[in-house]
Amino acid sequence: MSSQKFFDRLKVQLLFSGPTLFAFFTVVILPFLYGIYLTFTNWDGVSTSHSFVGMKNYLAVLDDAAFWTSLYKTMKYVLLTVILINVVGFFLAYMLTTEIRAKNLFRAGFFTPNLIGGIILGFLWQFIFSNVLVYIGEHFKIGIFSSSWLADPDKAFWTLVIVTTWQYSGYMMVIYIAGLMNIPKELLEAASIDGANAFVRLRKIILPLMVPSFIVCVFLSLQRGFMVYDLNIALTNGGPYKSTQLVSMYVYQKAFLSQKYGAGQAEAFVLFLIVAIVTLIQVYVSKKREVEA
Amino acid sequence: MRKLKMMSAAVLSLSLLLSGCGNSTKEGQSSDGKKTASSEVKITLLNSKGEIQAQLEEAAKEFSKENPGTTLEVIPAAAGQSPFEKVSSMYAAGNAPTISMVDPGDVKKFADKALDLSNEKWVKDAIDGSLDDAKTEDGKILAFPFAVEGYGLIYNKAVLDKAVGGNFDPASIKTRKDLAELIKKIQKTGVASNLQSPMDWSLGAHYLTIGYSVQSNKFEEVEAFLTNLKEGKEDLTKNEKLNGLLDTFDLLKENNVNKKDPMSGTYEQGPELLGKGKVGLWFMGNWAWPQIKGFDTTNGNYGFLPVPISDNPDDYGNSQISVGVTKRLIIDKEQNSPEQQTAAKKFLEWLVYNEKGQDFLVNKANIIPAFKNITLEPQDPLAKSIKAYMNNNKTLRSMVTLPPDHWSQVGAFMQQYLDNKIDRKQLLKQIEGYWKSQQ
Repeated sequence: MSSQKFFDRLKVQLLFSGPTLFAFFTVVILPFLYGIYLTFTNWDGVSTSHSFVGMKNYLAVLDDAAFWTSLYKTMKYVLLTVILINVVGFFLAYMLTTEIRAKNLFRAGFFTPNLIGGIILGFLWQFIFSNVLVYIGEHFKIGIFSSSWLADPDKAFWTLVIVTTWQYSGYMMVIYIAGLMNIPKELLEAASIDGANAFVRLRKIILPLMVPSFIVCVFLSLQRGFMVYDLNIALTNGGPYKSTQLVSMYVYQKAFLSQKYGAGQAEAFVLFLIVAIVTLIQVYVSKKREVEA
Repeated sequence: MRKLKMMSAAVLSLSLLLSGCGNSTKEGQSSDGKKTASSEVKITLLNSKGEIQAQLEEAAKEFSKENPGTTLEVIPAAAGQSPFEKVSSMYAAGNAPTISMVDPGDVKKFADKALDLSNEKWVKDAIDGSLDDAKTEDGKILAFPFAVEGYGLIYNKAVLDKAVGGNFDPASIKTRKDLAELIKKIQKTGVASNLQSPMDWSLGAHYLTIGYSVQSNKFEEVEAFLTNLKEGKEDLTKNEKLNGLLDTFDLLKENNVNKKDPMSGTYEQGPELLGKGKVGLWFMGNWAWPQIKGFDTTNGNYGFLPVPISDNPDDYGNSQISVGVTKRLIIDKEQNSPEQQTAAKKFLEWLVYNEKGQDFLVNKANIIPAFKNITLEPQDPLAKSIKAYMNNNKTLRSMVTLPPDHWSQVGAFMQQYLDNKIDRKQLLKQIEGYWKSQQ
């Protein structure tokens, strides 16, 4: 009897979750497992045969200095963009929840960059950095703009950071606005009556209550930072001379340009582990700081 | 009742899903063409030369018109996407194009999927050496030579005429010293002498590889040189020819119109500066003609100069320019039906022997064909200049079958050298390191 009941329940469950499970299994789980399998082979991406090479690809990852350099650059990029995106995003949200005019217009305006795809955005800013700013720099004799930022390794790195911040801070702003609006007014009012000034209110009430929003935003910007590819390829294309090649692009080129699919896949897997660990730590650590109002 | 309805709907949608998948895997092998082959054959051509997409579509229409029952569809590869990437993804999707236009180095990667073309009529009319890198070890020919391209220093004759005070003769530049004098003469007329563009493909795949080609006029020896490089047995710092080529690079770098900020240049800058006569020389290939034409101020008076590697006029490479087959067509035998394969062969023949096919290649697409029987003269000055070098046997064999990431990696080293971030010794050490990692 109980087995009859079990099958009944299973049927209903399958009815609802079956199609999704099936889709999830075929498009996420299977490719993922197959991808891991490929890291143990020497496949070049097209040939019909490949042979098993054991841990060779993973040893090659350890040896591949260029991979670790690009990973280091990515870390630097992630660190800078996470800080800048969230600081700018929070600042915008804070300003746009105070009493200023044309709030909605500003909100829409700051959010717009997020609606443009990374590739187009990259080309837009490429034009700005290598043509518009250079023209302005030469015209008004501003030294820092007189030559293209994209031609200099350090400045090209900063262009990536600047454009990413510009792209995502509007998005994070929306999340922060939602968080700010949820803070109970009476708490802030009570604090003001007790004599807390704006800064104290921000530090003692708003920030602690905003932790859930921070978790989401930092998580989103972390993950996007690690995975960035479209902007990288459209804005700097890794140049000048591969100095701004971030890790996703490096892995992609390893697999498809150098036609070392197994090795590229192994690097992608290492990257996956690193990103998973970093984001899990982030979520775990920040969850602890959540407070109830 | 209602429950039953829901159940059946769910089962139906599930089975649809399943059958959808089943179909694509089963029929990936035999595409639609097989079923309808008797009446209509549809073949596809993957085009990786974006600049001739429109012309190729025209030619496909012509071909379909002359061969009723056969339609040819041209699929473009996205700009910046390597043909290998596109073709391999189409194979993975079970939807391989009948004809794929690939880079010469890719041909062997598709060896088990490409149709053997050894018995085709055009094989005997192909120019010498144009099939060498399309052959398997047992002598099978797997690919059709689609386009011959060449590169060197493109000159604007109007600028050079003014500089030398008379009619400029390209044969007068035989050594680095000649080139240096020419550069000085151009600069005296108040025009910048040359432009060195910083694209990695131009520096890595074209400029530096001249240094490999000139190692010997026998190709086996060049190949042996590359094998030695891989095994780490070659000391490039002592290689006279490669160093000679880089000495010339220093000369070009020193007089580069972008010298102040060498990495800021773009490809688009080249045609404009050269076409408008603002520089006299630009290192590039004949594919740049359509763009140069847009800015042309000299009635199409352009040509190629070799890149000299020494001060001895007799050295191999000082009077030759680099020429090679840069695009090849392969026919798929795995996912296309025999009828489709036959139709594809017919198209290749049409290109070589049909008047309209030849007209498309030479006049419409500005391609230098690799076939002796095509006597049409190229229209554009750069192709004419290359043809002249070919007719006089003054060509270096382009290095078109290097490892697939050579242009990108070595291109990046050359960019660093161009930007004075590394010196000659570091450059050569990095190149050696790249080759050693290729084992």
